Amino acid sequence: MPGDTQVNAVRVAGLSKRYGGVAAVDDLSFEVRAGAVTGFLGPNGAGKTTTLRILLGLARPSAGEATIFGQPFAALADPARTVGASLEISGFHPGRSGRNHLRSLAVLAGLPESRVEDVLKLVELTGAADRRAGKYSMGMRQRLALAATLLGDPQLLVLDEPANGLDPQGIRWLRDFLRGLAAEGRTVLISSHVLSEVAQTVDDVIVIHHGRLVDEGPVDRLSGPKRVSVRSPRLADLAAAIERAGAQVSRENDVVIVSGLDAAQIGDLAFSAGLPLHELAPHSASLEEVFLELTTDEPTTEGPTTEGPTTEGPKAAA
Amino acid sequence: MNRVLRSELLKLRTTRTALGFAIAGVLLVLLVVLVTTLAGNPTTISDKRAVLSIGDPLAVVLLLFGVVGATAEYRHRTVAAGALILPSRLRLSVGRMVAYGIAGLLVGSLMLVVAFAIGIPLLSGASGPSLGTGDYVRAVGGSLLACGLGAMLGVAIGVLVANQVAAVVGTLVIFFVADPLIIAASATVGKFSFGDALTAVAGRNTAHELAFGAAVAVIIGWTALALTIAAWVDARRDIS
Repeated sequence: MPGDTQVNAVRVAGLSKRYGGVAAVDDLSFEVRAGAVTGFLGPNGAGKTTTLRILLGLARPSAGEATIFGQPFAALADPARTVGASLEISGFHPGRSGRNHLRSLAVLAGLPESRVEDVLKLVELTGAADRRAGKYSMGMRQRLALAATLLGDPQLLVLDEPANGLDPQGIRWLRDFLRGLAAEGRTVLISSHVLSEVAQTVDDVIVIHHGRLVDEGPVDRLSGPKRVSVRSPRLADLAAAIERAGAQVSRENDVVIVSGLDAAQIGDLAFSAGLPLHELAPHSASLEEVFLELTTDEPTTEGPTTEGPTTEGPKAAA
Repeated sequence: MNRVLRSELLKLRTTRTALGFAIAGVLLVLLVVLVTTLAGNPTTISDKRAVLSIGDPLAVVLLLFGVVGATAEYRHRTVAAGALILPSRLRLSVGRMVAYGIAGLLVGSLMLVVAFAIGIPLLSGASGPSLGTGDYVRAVGGSLLACGLGAMLGVAIGVLVANQVAAVVGTLVIFFVADPLIIAASATVGKFSFGDALTAVAGRNTAHELAFGAAVAVIIGWTALALTIAAWVDARRDIS
């Protein structure tokens, strides 16, 4: 039930959706922890929106099931107070004002009209609320969509590409806004094809490609294995010593990149060997690099290595 | 259902679509009343009743009003916003139909006021027998019924087809091409068409028209059939 962190907020099991001979979603399974902000990632056409539409009862699956707090969306007793969703940026009548759009939804949900003013204030759209939605900028439309999702004060928010079309200020605003929602203990499932938009906001990630799961887990784990860059006036000697210790070394100009040993171990090793160190910098592969590797059809020959997928669905599912 | 109805009525009030169709209706009523009175030279009860029976031409306008209103939900993707709050698409569609039916009655009432305000003074100068109370009651009742049911049928067609252009063109083709062809081919079958039944309800005389009550039943039947098919299709349709 909503608010119970022991229950997964979202559970997708064996979900498939076929359009003719094309599988938009292919035997997809994942879970979203209650109380966490989860990024639902994949390139354009990966099946994210189709999955969310099935989750929200807007499309019928070819196989499998998707539940929210243990129930199909259609069986929820009070959907508006359970889940707020924004799937379509253009889901407004262009001739209707933002305030009236929200009023119509509030009436349908049985919510007081005062709630409309609350959410308009939350998304900082009060000043433009009486303008027609067709005249709104992209950022204002996104804010109106967010306002609609918040009307019922739901425990779960499902946002499909909410940063699409936003300028840097808009993305910054969205990031702060989502952080605020997360701080209130809400569960947020946010889809994006641009990892950098959500990387600083999410706790967990689910990565899909060609409708199949390629990775899921805490965002920190997705960032890949730790590596250390080392600089020394006796770089060749140091690299040889590191290799003898069993680590992997790759040389890039006057730096060697070490994986398999952490910075402290390399420092100890250099000290023991009497080799001077000028730089010892631990870092991990960027999320963007890992994301691209997971969702690129042809294996890359450069960039970081990862431990590969940890769940069903091979990394090269494509 | 009360929430759905209130929400749909609010949506109707907050765009200019209803106003646009009301203006189109006023212009059409003016045209029909003036042409049938001034150019038609009505002298019989039947001719005079036809002047005030504006439900026949108006119902087509309100039929299109319902079609445009229902398909706009798909065109502007607002149908998803409603379904995310109330998953039962049938309840949403029925609520929308009732709301448009009410709007059809209101627009029909306004048009009747215009028709009577212009038509009665013009008819008072015409030769032949005068209209009785029963004629006025039938003109009012028939026109209102035709307007309300026309708007409701339009919503059902809109939900069924979803694509706005296809629904509008299809409706016009059925009303202005298919119906007359069927009537020309077989008046016995044609009198059960929506268009001919509408004519009968509105009070215009045709040689083969149904009785008033039977015509109302036929229109309700068409509307119920369209809604049933629309609900069945809509429940299986993926909303994008």
